[in-house]
Amino acid sequence: MISPIHILTIGLGGAFALGFVPKKAKDAAAVIMLAAIALMGVLTGSWLIGLINGDSAQQVFTAGFKPPFSINLLMGLNEGALTTAVNFIGLLGGIYLYKYLKEAGNHAIMVFLIFIMGLNVVIMTRDIFNLFVFLEIVSIATAGLVILTETGKAVQAGFKYMLATGVISGVLLIGIIFAYYYSGTLNIDGLTQAHIGALRGGSVALLMIMVSILLELKTFPANGWGLDVYEGANAGIGAMLSAATATGMYYVLYKLLVMAGPEWNYWIALIGAVSFIGSNVLALKQRSAQRLLGYSSIGQIGLLMIILGFKDILGDNTPYVAFGILFSHYFAKAGLFWLAGIVKQSDIANWAVIRKKPYFLFLMGTFIFALIGFPPFPSFFAKWELVMELVNTGNLPWVVAILFGSMMEAVYLFRWFGYAIKGENENIEDFKIEWNKILPVGIVAIALYVTGYFTAQHTEAGAAINWIPLFFVAAIFILDFLPVFVKNTIAIIGMALYFYNIYPDLDNMRLVFEAIFMIGGILTLIAGYAYKGKRTGFYPVALLMYAGLTAIIEAQTTLQFFFGWELMTAGSYFLIIRGKRSMPHGLSYMLFSVGGAYALLIGLGMAFAGQDSLGMEIINTISYLPYWAYGLLIVGFLTKTAALGLHIWLPGAHGEAESDVSPMVSAILLKAGVFGIVLTLIGMGGESNSYPWLPYALGWLGAITAFSGNLMAVFQEDAKRLLAYSSIGQLGYIVLGMAMMTHLGWLGGFSYVVNHFLYKAVLFLTIGAVVLRVKTHNMYEMGGLIKRMPLAFIAVMIGIIALSGVPPLSGFAGKWLFYNAILEKGWYLQGAIMFFSGGIAFMYLWRLIHTVFLGQLKDNHRNVKEISIWFLIPIYLLLAGIMVYSVKPQWVLQPLGDMIAQWFPDGQLTWDGGTAFTKYGHWAGTAVAVTIIVAFLVVLALLLISTRKAHKVKQFDITYSGERPERPETTHVAYNVFEGLYKAMWIATIPLVETWWNKVTDFLHDTADIVRRIYNGNGQTYIIHIVLFIIVTYFVIIGG
Amino acid sequence: MKKLFVFIILIALASMLYPLLDTFHGNDKLSELSQFYAQSENVSKVNAQNLVTAVVVTYRGLDTLGEVTILFLAAAIIAFFLKTESEKRTLRKNSEIFKTAAKMLVPIITMVGIYIFINGHLTPGGGFQGGAVIASGVILMLLAFPNMEFNHKFFEALESISGVVYVGLAAFGAIIGLGFLDNAILPLGKFGELFSAGAIPVIYSFVGLKVGAELSNILNKFKSVQAEN
Amino acid sequence: MEYITITTGFLIILAGLWAIMTRKNIIRIIIGFSLFDTGIHIVMVSMAYVKGGVAPILDKNELLTDTANKIVDPVPQALVLTAIVIGLGVTALMLAYAMKLHSEKKSLDIESFKDLKW
Repeated sequence: MISPIHILTIGLGGAFALGFVPKKAKDAAAVIMLAAIALMGVLTGSWLIGLINGDSAQQVFTAGFKPPFSINLLMGLNEGALTTAVNFIGLLGGIYLYKYLKEAGNHAIMVFLIFIMGLNVVIMTRDIFNLFVFLEIVSIATAGLVILTETGKAVQAGFKYMLATGVISGVLLIGIIFAYYYSGTLNIDGLTQAHIGALRGGSVALLMIMVSILLELKTFPANGWGLDVYEGANAGIGAMLSAATATGMYYVLYKLLVMAGPEWNYWIALIGAVSFIGSNVLALKQRSAQRLLGYSSIGQIGLLMIILGFKDILGDNTPYVAFGILFSHYFAKAGLFWLAGIVKQSDIANWAVIRKKPYFLFLMGTFIFALIGFPPFPSFFAKWELVMELVNTGNLPWVVAILFGSMMEAVYLFRWFGYAIKGENENIEDFKIEWNKILPVGIVAIALYVTGYFTAQHTEAGAAINWIPLFFVAAIFILDFLPVFVKNTIAIIGMALYFYNIYPDLDNMRLVFEAIFMIGGILTLIAGYAYKGKRTGFYPVALLMYAGLTAIIEAQTTLQFFFGWELMTAGSYFLIIRGKRSMPHGLSYMLFSVGGAYALLIGLGMAFAGQDSLGMEIINTISYLPYWAYGLLIVGFLTKTAALGLHIWLPGAHGEAESDVSPMVSAILLKAGVFGIVLTLIGMGGESNSYPWLPYALGWLGAITAFSGNLMAVFQEDAKRLLAYSSIGQLGYIVLGMAMMTHLGWLGGFSYVVNHFLYKAVLFLTIGAVVLRVKTHNMYEMGGLIKRMPLAFIAVMIGIIALSGVPPLSGFAGKWLFYNAILEKGWYLQGAIMFFSGGIAFMYLWRLIHTVFLGQLKDNHRNVKEISIWFLIPIYLLLAGIMVYSVKPQWVLQPLGDMIAQWFPDGQLTWDGGTAFTKYGHWAGTAVAVTIIVAFLVVLALLLISTRKAHKVKQFDITYSGERPERPETTHVAYNVFEGLYKAMWIATIPLVETWWNKVTDFLHDTADIVRRIYNGNGQTYIIHIVLFIIVTYFVIIGG
Repeated sequence: MKKLFVFIILIALASMLYPLLDTFHGNDKLSELSQFYAQSENVSKVNAQNLVTAVVVTYRGLDTLGEVTILFLAAAIIAFFLKTESEKRTLRKNSEIFKTAAKMLVPIITMVGIYIFINGHLTPGGGFQGGAVIASGVILMLLAFPNMEFNHKFFEALESISGVVYVGLAAFGAIIGLGFLDNAILPLGKFGELFSAGAIPVIYSFVGLKVGAELSNILNKFKSVQAEN
Repeated sequence: MEYITITTGFLIILAGLWAIMTRKNIIRIIIGFSLFDTGIHIVMVSMAYVKGGVAPILDKNELLTDTANKIVDPVPQALVLTAIVIGLGVTALMLAYAMKLHSEKKSLDIESFKDLKW
């Protein structure tokens, strides 16, 4: 193999030889540069392949002498991977910058080539002074590249960069020369042996070396100059700095950290944590895309520093974790910077323009999800491993710090992404496509997916992940150009086949949920036939959500579970944000989901701790801080069930979603949270639960959630929001039922799970279909629709009867079980709240009939048609389900009871045919239902017969009312119906929770806004920051 | 206020530097590294009379290559950064005395420069010093004849040739199996003579030419941009 | 002797930093950098001194035997050469920047280049 030293020959020789290329032959010069970079890439790549296949690391000696007497380079596995990465991104970056470089001329082309070559040597060199020299090469080349596209801002940024790096390299030089004085060597390995940190002066020299590398990495807060460069330079250069330079510098930090010795690990981790959290918080106030990316880059490097600081604890996993995060950052950040250069919009709000070319939106989404650490990207697996290991070794505060920083990053990245998906883009000029710019972006996006897949294969649990659903999603994505009809059919067939294949492998409890997810999914997809055109982007994201849902059901390991959980979150986020006016709700949904997922992550980490296994069964035997672990798991799942306090995303998200999406995210998706809670409560030991306070608190939370959700629903004018609040209340019942931890409580809870799925799907589908016809969500703008849409009316009627829990329909089963369970458990107060909120439910349910279907028809609705047949089909199938459940409750409750008996054997129902007995009473579902239905039909028939001859009154014919209005007007009381009640209850409707969360976000944003003013733009101030940073680290680490 | 603040910062910085000063006690003997360089077998392996040059060009030759690259970078960046319009302005003429003196001095200065880099392995000095001296001759020319047409093509070609030859010599060592930048690719000659120390004088000559050309280019850029303003 | 040079070096470093951090004029700041660099170079050279040593140029025969005990350390001297050249390159580039900045705003006050901030 060719010696790695020839990177110098190629890079430098090429750069010097470019002087011979005539000034006019710019294309030739640019091509030579690309060829040289490609050649360096082939060289390092061939080493990388050899090293992966077991070749031993190669030392390169220079000048014919062995180290430490001459400078040597090392080509090991790390070096091979990183130099290849640098050359790869250098090649792509060169292609991206092709036109700019050409325009700037041959000299700029030489500078770019030397920049890449310099980074290669920085990574490989084992001599500290040589490192200094090549760092200088890199930073001078950077100072030149910053002004590649010469704007006033770029020149200013470049000068600040020079000022800062001038001071930093001076400090490094002092450190190096004293390191030489104390150790007599310049070789990094020699310095490692010399332990100069043990000497008083040596420790200062070491500090100066380490701090200057930290500063070169633009560590917060001494990094204003770096941010200015990210913002002011050409986006293509930003990509190079963020991907290539940061990668190289990070490895330098690693090399020197080994040299500095283990006592530095802690400090690096601490400085990394400060940098990670600090820059992510400050980024909250950013509006400029490139500056925001700069903050994010600095944050990511902070995270990588934490990983480095924990290298002794992570042990053999360190490269896996570090490379996972590093490569996600490297690909995604380069991609985003390049996109910024293509879109050419500095204000993030203007990124809505990216939607004009949907595939660009997809690319942007890929990069953003990769940065946050969603599956299937490498960062997901790396973050998982990191958290597992850190929790396992008792480093909880660090985990919290890492996840807090990640959360902040999610806030601003998803806000940005929200603008791109939903922002106003009418008046923004479309951007141009240049092929040399798109090619690199596309390649890094593909690379993210590919590396993600291979990262997963690297661990046992990751290799067990079932990728088939994801491949299906990818296939649907590729087929997105097809019309709705075809895609809908493919999706339904795919889900049906998958369900058919999977169900024999599932236990009963999982089967219940899987059936809700899959059958519910298919039913709601049927409604999709009502849509025309292509419905771009709908099917991939809907299927992504279902892929996630089935993955959490099938999960054998906690990793698979979390993998599915995050897929589901991503898919549902996209589904929700498709709706009108859904930008803020999409964001809050995402943030609560990410926060919840992090709670889960810590909880699962605690479960892993000490058990050394990732099987799902470990949550049954948590031994490390079990109270906390179960508590965190429950909190994580409660974000998905929208428990009070964590619910503020739901009304907007469900209310604004598309007509067939609302049932998906309400009737179906919420059950994922329930499934999680069920798993957790089973894990806590079922009947022999030894953590009594958790269910107790959970029970109260459920009761209060039920009450508040129902109360808020009463005051809604928007039909879909009404249903959304109603869901919050219903989920409160379920949570309370499960929290009782008795057989009857669970049976009631499960009964509600099934029921809520059935009737909420019916109601959301029907109301959604009505909304599609009448073009408004506001109930008071509807009315009298019974004549126009009788089938919809019947559906809503049955739906609300089932929901309200009165006999004869299925809802009563749940209610009856509940009150029995509450009496048995003795939770009278909670029971009273439940009872009260059940009453409140009538108040809003009635409005769905009265305000929407009864009363007077509005003028503009005189010609509306019955709701679409494609909605009616799933609605009536679901209604059939409700009827069967109502008439034969034992068909559902008996198997559920048998299933629950494995965890709660005591207090089961006793069945005598269709009659169920508890110690408090009995209930014969069939008899009751049949009696009432027969009675209803008889009365209906009588009424129809007796009123056959009645005079039909036209809508505005109010002759009989004894009044004669001036002009036709409706007498239908539909708006603000509960004004009186509101006056009495307003105090209970103050959105305290929302206010609280707003205060939290305001506080964070205000903090960010104040703190970021330290970056006042003055290069001199930045130098003062740098010197202060050095002094502070000195006094903290070494002391006075 | 700001000055007081900076003063306090510098005091703090000084207190951080103090341990370095405090533990500094000079050297009683050479470091291990330098002792190796001073061993007679190693002296004869490189065969350069000037040990500093041996370190600069051979033992730490990679640094020197980097150093040359940095000057090259600076020149290249300045070249594309300070783009000049080819609009010409006539500047004030200098006095005859100055011009005549310059004409006389420049050849001598150039020769001194060349002497310094050719003898870099024997006497104090070397490529950088020689190159700088040559560039000082160029400054003198630029000052004395501000309207002179500067032949930057010549200097750029010189720069490129020297650079390629330097890298070529370095790589040649690695290709024939001696090692990158090994000076033994050429006969080592007799210690203390001009043709000794293998490739060192050749390398240093090219470094000298390169540095001279680069500095001259930079100076010319500055001058021509200034002429614009 | 070496104590004097190293102390001087440190003082020049601090003086350079003082100029860098307090002067408003960009040219003066660049001069500050030159001072800062020079200070570092003096410190580096001070490291090379060995008591009683001569310059490591073996142009006399008596230097060829027992060389190690007769010369000063050549390594810092080699390093300082490199450092000087690097400093030169950086300074040249900074001056080019200064020219560009001046042509942009007709000012050399560092305060007037704050378009990018926060």
